[in-house]
Amino acid sequence: MDRDIKISIRNLYKIFGPIPDVALAYVRRGMGKAELLEKHNHVLGLQDINVDIREGEITVIMGLSGSGKSTLIRHLNRLIEPTAGEIRVDGQDVLQFNEEQLRTLRRERMSMVFQKFALLPHKTVLENAGMALLVRGFSVEEFESEARKWLARVGLEGNENQYPHQLSGGMQQRVGIARALASNSPVMLMDEAFSALDPLIRSDMQDLLLELQDELHKTIVFITHDLDEALKLADHLVILKDGYIVQQGEPQEILMNANDPYIIDFISDINRARVLRVRSIMKKTTEAPADSAGDISERDNLESVIAMSEGDTERTYRVMRRDKQVGVLEMKDLVRALVPTEGAEAQERVQ
Amino acid sequence: MATYDFVFSSLGLEEWCNEGTSDAPMTMAALLKKTQGTESTPDSLWDLPFPSMDALNESCASFPKSRELTKGLEEGFLAIKDSLSIVLDPLTQPLSWFLDGALYGMLNTPWWIVIPLLLAVVFVVSKSWKLVAFVGVSLALLAFIDYYDYAMQTLAIIFVCAFLCVILGVPIGIAMSRSDMMQRLTIPVLDMLQTLPPFVYLIPLIFLFSVTESKLYGIAIILYAIVPVIRLTNLGIRLVDKDVIEAADAFGMTSRQKLYKVQIPLALPNIMAGVNQTIMMSLAMVVIASLVSAPGLGVLVLQGIRNLELGVGLVAGLGIVILAVILDRVTKASLARINASQKQ
Repeated sequence: MDRDIKISIRNLYKIFGPIPDVALAYVRRGMGKAELLEKHNHVLGLQDINVDIREGEITVIMGLSGSGKSTLIRHLNRLIEPTAGEIRVDGQDVLQFNEEQLRTLRRERMSMVFQKFALLPHKTVLENAGMALLVRGFSVEEFESEARKWLARVGLEGNENQYPHQLSGGMQQRVGIARALASNSPVMLMDEAFSALDPLIRSDMQDLLLELQDELHKTIVFITHDLDEALKLADHLVILKDGYIVQQGEPQEILMNANDPYIIDFISDINRARVLRVRSIMKKTTEAPADSAGDISERDNLESVIAMSEGDTERTYRVMRRDKQVGVLEMKDLVRALVPTEGAEAQERVQ
Repeated sequence: MATYDFVFSSLGLEEWCNEGTSDAPMTMAALLKKTQGTESTPDSLWDLPFPSMDALNESCASFPKSRELTKGLEEGFLAIKDSLSIVLDPLTQPLSWFLDGALYGMLNTPWWIVIPLLLAVVFVVSKSWKLVAFVGVSLALLAFIDYYDYAMQTLAIIFVCAFLCVILGVPIGIAMSRSDMMQRLTIPVLDMLQTLPPFVYLIPLIFLFSVTESKLYGIAIILYAIVPVIRLTNLGIRLVDKDVIEAADAFGMTSRQKLYKVQIPLALPNIMAGVNQTIMMSLAMVVIASLVSAPGLGVLVLQGIRNLELGVGLVAGLGIVILAVILDRVTKASLARINASQKQ
C-alpha cells in the first residue's frame, strides 16, 4: 500500500523579518511565535515542518488563515525561500538548484493552481490552458490539440476562444486546472484552489478533482481551510497551526484519534456520518457474517449506510473492496462511532 | 557705514574687506541709488535688511554680490558649453534629420494624399467611423481657412517628438519598475522636468545649439513631454496583479518572457494613458517652442502677440484646440479598445 515518497520536507523553518538567522536561533531555543514577534519583531512563518508527500496521493494541508499553509506550499517550488531546512523532490534537494534547474522544475515537474485563478486576462482560454507549453517555447498551433484536450476534460469544450473575464469563477478555475494538467507535470500544487468558489460549485470541483485523480494519479498537494473539503479529498492530512504541524496522518485516523484540543475543536462541528467511512469503523475480517443484510463498499460514508439500513440498528453488513470481503460492519458500532471522541467529551465537560 | 559692519569687524576681516572691490555688474536699482546719492544706513529695527549677499557686500567690498553668483553660473556654463556641444551635437543630430524629414514629407506630399492617410490611421487605431468623420471635417475646416500648412507642421513635429518620447520613455519606465534604486534616482529628475517652467528649458538649449537647427525645439519638447510616459509605464508594470506574476513564476517563465508576455501587455492601458498625456504635452510645448523657431501654429500665435494681430492669434489658437481634440480623441479611442480587451 505504501507508495514512494515524491517530496520530502525536513526540518523546514521560515522566519520573515530583517535578520531571520538570528531569530532562527531563538526559535530553535524554544521561543514561541507571539514572543518572537513582540521581542524581536520577526514573524515565525513555519516551524520545524516534516512532511512526506507520497506519489499518487492527495496530501491536504489544512489550517486556519495565518497558519502558514500558503507559505508552506510556496516552498515546494521555491516561490518563497526557506530560512532553514531541506526539501527533496525525487531525492534531489530543491534548495541546491540553480536558476536554470529551478525553472525546469517549475516547467516540467510541478504545476500550480491558484486561489484567485491568476489567469492571463489578455489571452484566450485556449492560450491560458497552454501557458505551460507556451512558456516552454511551443507555438499556439503546436499546443492547441493538447490544450483543447484538457479543456474538454474539465468540461470547457466550446469556450476555447473566450477570454477569462467572460467566464464565471468556477469556469475560470477549470481553466486553471486545465492549465496545470496541460503542463503534464507529475506534481500539482493547489493553493486554496476552491476557496473562492461558492459551495455548490466547490463541491462539483472537488468531484472533478477526485475523478481526474482516479484517472491520472498525480501527486497533489492541496491547501485548504475547510475541514469538510480536507476530509473529502485527503489521502494524507496535515494540520497546521501557527506554523507548526499539530497532527498528520490518514484523515479517518485523525478523526477517530484526535490528539490535540485544537483539532478536537475543529472536528466537533462536522457531520461525522458524512465524513467517516466504513473502512475506519469496520471489524477487519474475511469471514462472512451469519446474517448479512447486504454488501457495502469500504469507501461508503456512514450516512449512506444509515440510509440503506432504514435506521435498523440490528443489521450487519459485509464490507467489500473490489468484490472481495475485507470486513464486517455492525450497525451498533456505526451508531457508537457517531458520538464524538472521548477527548472531545472530556473537553466539553471541562468547559 | 552699513548694517553688518560689525560682523566683519568682530571676525577681524576688515583688512580683507578693504582689499577688494566688487566688480560685478551694477544693477539698475543700485545705479539709481548711487546717482541719487541717498545711501544711508537704516537706523530703526524696522528697516533691518536680511543678511543677504548684497547687504553684506555693502559692509565688506570683498564679499561677492549675488549678481556674481549668476554671472559665475553663466561663465561656468559657457566654459563647458563647447566640450558639451562636441558630445551632444552628433548625439542629437538624428533628431534634426527626423524633424526636417517629417516636415518636408508632410508639406511636400499633396493634401489629397496626406488627409486620407491620416484618416486611415485614425480608423486603424480607433475602428470608429464617427471619429474618422470628425477628424475629416476638422482637417477640412483648417485647410479651408488656409491653415493647412501650419497645422501639418505642428502635427509633424508632434508625431516625431511623441514617437521618440515613447521609444525612449518606455524602456526607462521598465527599468524603473524593475529596480527600486533606479526609481529612487529617476523620480527627482522627473519631478524637476515636470515642475520647471517650460521657458526655462529653452535658456540652456539656446546656448548649446544653434537656433537654426530643428533639434533645439525637438529636445525642449521631448524633455517636457517624456515624463508621463515614463511615470505611467513604471506605474503600470508595478500595478500588474501580483497573483498573475506569481503564476508566471510558478510556470517557470524567464524574466524576459514575463516582461513581454505578462507585464507589458497588462500594463498597456496605463502605458497608453501615458502616451496620450505625452502627445498632449508635446502639443502644449510645440506652441511655446515657436519662440525658438519651431514652425507651425505656434508661430501664428506668437505673431498675434507681437504684432497685436488679434484675429490671427485667435484663429491659430482655435486651430491648436482642434488639433488637441483630434489627438486626444484618437488616442483615447485606442486606449478604450485596449481596455475593453482585457477587463478583469
